[in-house]
Amino acid sequence: MKFIFNFILLFFVISMPFKVFAQEEILLGLIPEQNIFKQMERYRPLASYLSEKAGVKVRLTILSRYGDIVERFVARSLDGAFFDSLTGAMAITRMGVEPMARPVNLDGKATVRSYIFVRTDSKINSVKDMKGKKVVFVDMATATGYLFAVAFLHENGIHDINRYFNEYFFTGSHDSAIYSVLDNRADIGSAQDTIFNMLASKDPTIKRELHIIAQSEELPETTLCLRKSISSKIKNRITDILLHMNEDPAGKKILKKFGAVKFIRAEAGDFNSVFNLARRAQINIKEYKGTR
Amino acid sequence: MVSSRIQRQLSICFITISICLLFPFQVLAAEKKTIGVIMTGDIPYYSKMHKAFTAKLSREGYGDVQVLLQRPYPDQVSWSNAARKLIAVDVDIIVTYGASVTLAAINERTSIPIVYAGVYNPDAIGITGKNITGSISKVPASSLIRYLKGITAITSLGVLYSDIEKESIKQVEEIGDISKDLGFKVVKINIRRPEDVRKIKASGKLDALFLTCSASVNMSLDAILEIARSNKLPTASTLKNENNPGVVITLSASPEEQGELAAEKVIKILHGARPNALSPTNSKNIELIFNLKENMAMGFKIPMGLVTEATKIIQ
Repeated sequence: MKFIFNFILLFFVISMPFKVFAQEEILLGLIPEQNIFKQMERYRPLASYLSEKAGVKVRLTILSRYGDIVERFVARSLDGAFFDSLTGAMAITRMGVEPMARPVNLDGKATVRSYIFVRTDSKINSVKDMKGKKVVFVDMATATGYLFAVAFLHENGIHDINRYFNEYFFTGSHDSAIYSVLDNRADIGSAQDTIFNMLASKDPTIKRELHIIAQSEELPETTLCLRKSISSKIKNRITDILLHMNEDPAGKKILKKFGAVKFIRAEAGDFNSVFNLARRAQINIKEYKGTR
Repeated sequence: MVSSRIQRQLSICFITISICLLFPFQVLAAEKKTIGVIMTGDIPYYSKMHKAFTAKLSREGYGDVQVLLQRPYPDQVSWSNAARKLIAVDVDIIVTYGASVTLAAINERTSIPIVYAGVYNPDAIGITGKNITGSISKVPASSLIRYLKGITAITSLGVLYSDIEKESIKQVEEIGDISKDLGFKVVKINIRRPEDVRKIKASGKLDALFLTCSASVNMSLDAILEIARSNKLPTASTLKNENNPGVVITLSASPEEQGELAAEKVIKILHGARPNALSPTNSKNIELIFNLKENMAMGFKIPMGLVTEATKIIQ
């Protein structure tokens, strides 16, 4: 009897550390840069591929909006997220997440730009012409859908958008911001070049109807950042799979669906351009909430 | 001698009193203004616009302004007659809803200020002049087609227009340009009279219907929607119609805003502003309405990605 009790105790002692520490699944957050349906459609095959190759279930969750990203990351006990450049910079500064990998788009770039655009028939050619108009932004916590526009306006002498514009609103996604200007629901828009170019490649009327007034410097493309406390074994495994998936035929297929040629290693230094842009917009990332 | 002097003094006194008594009335009479309004057809979009126009005037303290409303049938002679009537009674300002009646008023070569509302693209059809200003209701046809394509593949698009309405013709041309980029065929269907809606069925295979801003087309909306339903053709329109919200996709400038913008311009002109000093105003309030109920009844689905764009959904 004593022997059986000792055996069971030994079994528990031996197996417990594995149960406690072996991570069986990873929960990654997605920023709603496109509408959430398209976003899930884009990332789901990538998550399945990672799950299969890493032997760890990779689950996705859409962060319903950009703002309060730090609070939401903690509240949802996320292990990581595909952050855009501003939320990435916020997460690195405030939570110490580690940038692991970012995609190289089909055009060969691993960076994005912000566009400020108007309808070609709008007669808006300068900041002066924008006075009293209606502006659409994506979200206060996006570099390409807000931060650059604020920096651009500051540099052109506009410090109070509430006074300068008749109205402004946020759509929550880049494609929505683009459609708002196309439909004349807004006069001026700000959104990410990759989404703009993707929509324009599918619909040639978009390039004819929209005119880009200004564009930002290059900013890091959506970057997978992982929580510091995840075991380095898992971090390295996930990162390795991403960095080498272009060498695997199955990985190539997934990349094609995702709209990228490969993933490259990401570093905190990639975000220097974002910190610089924030300074130009007179925003302190350490304290910036990204919400109204 | 004395009596004649008294008589003269009395006469002067009488005349002075008369002038004094009459003068205020003359001033008041001069302040009583008359505004002639022309809206073509019995279209809810224009009715809504007019309601907002008069309400704004009242709110701003111009409720006593006399408004003469003309509702001509959508044809050239009726539009001209309506404009001539208002010119004959010498109204202070002519307000027009829609391009056709605005052009009819311009053609009468009057110097009376003209304030238009609900005009899609005034520059494109020559709505310009010293005594003219107004509010523009342009919405991009390409957006409507983009949303239609989200519902169903379009190889052949029926475009309902009227060949006597310049603006409607311009919209057909605009859609023609878009069709070259997006690769579909435009089937022009001329609707001048209600019975012309039969032409829709006779136009061969269509994938969807685009309703231009033509008054004739919008007056026949009920009959058009009946044909669309029975032939499972999704519809798109640039004029919001709350009385019959059966159009599947509507992208429209708010009629209320258009009416209010016209009222603002009228008030400024009543205060002495020259119309050409008031530049035309673009609509800031554009509504995108999806009728999911109608769309589902036809057996189509609007992708959720598109639904999220709507400013209003009918379920």
